[in-house]
Amino acid sequence: MKYLCALWFMFCAVFASMQASGAEQTLRVLAWPGYADSDLVEVFQKRYKVKVEITLVGSDEVLRSKLAENRGGDFDVIAANTAEIHNYVNQGLLQPLHPEHIANTARQLPRFRDYSRIPDIVVDGEIYAVPYVWSDMGLIYDRKQFSQPPGSIESMWDPRFQGRVLAFNTGNHNFSIASLALGGDPFQIKAADFPQVTDKLIALRRNVLTFYSLPEEAAELFRSHSVALIFANYGRQQLKQLRDAGVDVGYVVPREGALAWLDCWAVSKRARDPALANLWINYMLEPEVSKALTERQDLSNTLQEPKDASPSSRLIWLRPVEDDQRRAALWQRIVSGERPPLREQR
Amino acid sequence: MRFGISFKLGCLMALFGMLPTGLAGYYIYNSSREMLLHAAERDLLTSVQVLGRNLHASLRNISLDAAVLTNGPQVHDLGDMADANERTHAENDLAESFRAMLLAHPDYMQIRLISATDHGLELVREDRDGRRIVRVEGNDLQEKAHYAYVFETLRLAPGEVRISPIVINHEQGAHSGLGKPTLHVSTPVADAGGKVFALLVINVDLDQLFSQLQSDLPKEYQVYLSNRWGDLLVHPDHRRTFGFDQGRRLFLQDEFPDVSRLLNETGPNSLISRSVEQSQQDRLVAAFVRLSHNGASEPFVVLGLGQPQSHVLAQASRAGTNIAQIALLFSLLAVLAAFIASRTLIRPLRSMTDAVELFSRERRISELPPRDDELGLLARRFQSMKQEILGQLDDLTCSRAAFEHLARHDPLTELPNRRRCFELLEQALVAARENGHKMALLFVDLDHFKEMNDQYGHRFGDLVLQAVAKLLTSASDGADCVARLGGDEFVIFFNDVKAPQKIVVLLEKLHQCFQLPLFIDGHRVQIHASMGVSLFPRDGDDIGALIQHADHAMYKAKSAGRNRYSFEVLEEE
Repeated sequence: MKYLCALWFMFCAVFASMQASGAEQTLRVLAWPGYADSDLVEVFQKRYKVKVEITLVGSDEVLRSKLAENRGGDFDVIAANTAEIHNYVNQGLLQPLHPEHIANTARQLPRFRDYSRIPDIVVDGEIYAVPYVWSDMGLIYDRKQFSQPPGSIESMWDPRFQGRVLAFNTGNHNFSIASLALGGDPFQIKAADFPQVTDKLIALRRNVLTFYSLPEEAAELFRSHSVALIFANYGRQQLKQLRDAGVDVGYVVPREGALAWLDCWAVSKRARDPALANLWINYMLEPEVSKALTERQDLSNTLQEPKDASPSSRLIWLRPVEDDQRRAALWQRIVSGERPPLREQR
Repeated sequence: MRFGISFKLGCLMALFGMLPTGLAGYYIYNSSREMLLHAAERDLLTSVQVLGRNLHASLRNISLDAAVLTNGPQVHDLGDMADANERTHAENDLAESFRAMLLAHPDYMQIRLISATDHGLELVREDRDGRRIVRVEGNDLQEKAHYAYVFETLRLAPGEVRISPIVINHEQGAHSGLGKPTLHVSTPVADAGGKVFALLVINVDLDQLFSQLQSDLPKEYQVYLSNRWGDLLVHPDHRRTFGFDQGRRLFLQDEFPDVSRLLNETGPNSLISRSVEQSQQDRLVAAFVRLSHNGASEPFVVLGLGQPQSHVLAQASRAGTNIAQIALLFSLLAVLAAFIASRTLIRPLRSMTDAVELFSRERRISELPPRDDELGLLARRFQSMKQEILGQLDDLTCSRAAFEHLARHDPLTELPNRRRCFELLEQALVAARENGHKMALLFVDLDHFKEMNDQYGHRFGDLVLQAVAKLLTSASDGADCVARLGGDEFVIFFNDVKAPQKIVVLLEKLHQCFQLPLFIDGHRVQIHASMGVSLFPRDGDDIGALIQHADHAMYKAKSAGRNRYSFEVLEEE
């Protein structure tokens, strides 16, 4: 009987340890489509003899709700944009990380290692995320109509191109670029400045052909209406789409700078094995993996400058704006065709 | 459990009956199912084409309405009317005709005249607001030049009509039309000189347009509409429509993969597709048609009609139930027929078995009902076989009786032989012991028989023995009391001897008989015999002792000179 007990105990112990080690060996990743393709994940799994569970999300809202479940305990490593990272840090869902422990951060372009100048990922002196992928919203221009690339965002208001400019149908970004054009802060428009920015947007409305929503739509209008300038909300993906359609277009980041989003990897506060999470981030920053991202998704990685990027490119990382709803409400009225002056009922 | 041949035969026959019925039923069901599916697909395709034509007709009617409105009395003059009063008057008239049109067409949400200049400022605008029709005037008029329905229409020649892609109307202040899937039907308006100075736009509520179109369709039909990229515009699940408006695109081709061929302009104009649902029951079978407005270059929509496959299959399964019932009925009939047939076959066999059993038990031949078929023949063969067996059995019994007799009797004298004698003696002894009777045993031996045999031959000896047997039999009480033990020795026994004197009388009588000459085979011979007697229970208790005593007595007589008897009467107590 005693032997049996001992055997049973041993069996249980072995089983439990196997269970435990099996669980430790699973890395749970929350990412966006295209960030962790299965062939790349396979290599990681083989190299470190671990299992990787990828959960894909299609929007910030879904990402937020996935992470909020179980207070982040369901995932070890997540990919999110800088503004969201800041939110998660405030909610205590992330743990600080040490880029010096992630060797491949040394391969990144200097501006992606200058953490203090990347908004939202440094909170209280601690670094919470490592940049991974980004896309800027520059201007696409018709090389036939521009002898020189348009230098300023003001080109969108240029009466010479009246009816040949395509802007994007969104309140948020349009207010930001209007404010930028006026020399203000794109994300923090002062209450007093709103009428001015609104007028600027009405002026934009009167100068554009239309406000597009889908990249296909923009490409089609570009060809059928001899459009000269597009605000590239979809970044270089949109550039590629137009070039694939055989249009001779250029891409420029205006001197005021281009709005850009930056997605980073961060480690969940309740990660089971932060060291493994660091290995994952390190792997994502390997040249082959980051290059695959650029080749497959037409998004820019953090190791190489994108093709035909002007050295002076100034990227304005997206940040939370002063009042989302105000911008959206005003935008609806502007795009509906209301004539100035727009009075706000407050 | 053991099954009889009738059960097995019945099963086999039932199987042969049921199998073809079942197979035929299954085949019919399958082919009818296919046929129904094909018929449903054909119906769907026809319906969707009709629906497409109806949609075309509706759009043409809307276009005609737009043309009618642009051809109103003062519309063309509005372009260069300088006088403000006159202009207001003309605009009021136009508003009235817009209003009348809106009242006549509940699916029209908004009718506007929009300037080609002033950033597309609205000139005349009538909106539907619930049950009311409201006129929008003054500062509430908006600039619309950046909308495709304006800038695209202004590129058209007067008289041409543009039908827009379908979008959700987000234009603030659009009253009832706000947030509705909307189709813009627009046409340019030119002044007398042919210069386009404005355009007329009718906003059509897609939902109402479709509910009118859909009203003729069977209610299980589900309508699909997508734009040329496959974005869902009309879908049974309203939440899936206009995904692009909320930043997530939901495509028709994701649900019906074949539709991607329709979206390709070189592809077919209509096709049938099945939805990608996993389970067979939930799948939809749908027909799609690509509709172009004016020639192939214009944007087009894909219109589809779907029906749950389960609905189509429900008809098939009704047919299947009928087929199954028929198959079941025929199977039951087959079972019944098999049962009857096996019974018919088995009954004569069973009666034959019974007859054979009866025969083997009681050796009786029972009569079977006469039949002319093979079974009748078999029965007759059995009958004759049984008769033959009976005959042979009788013969066997006879010969056995003969053997029996032969084994216990002397063939020469027909007297019981030694074996039979002992059996009879044993029985007699048992009876005597039980009843307390006395018995006498007489041993007879012929004198000089050997010499006689030598002298006259064995045949003569045999005749002598036969004669002596007759003599002894006639002298004794019954035939079974005389036996020949072998050679010239005979035994006679007497049951229930009351007094020994009677034995003496008998001995004397026998002795006298032996004194008479016998005529045998022409010879006169003198046969003498020596006799000895033993008495039960005086001289012995068993056969051996009795025989031995009688034998001794006989030898005593022989020693005394032969031809005499020896019996000690006096020694009895």
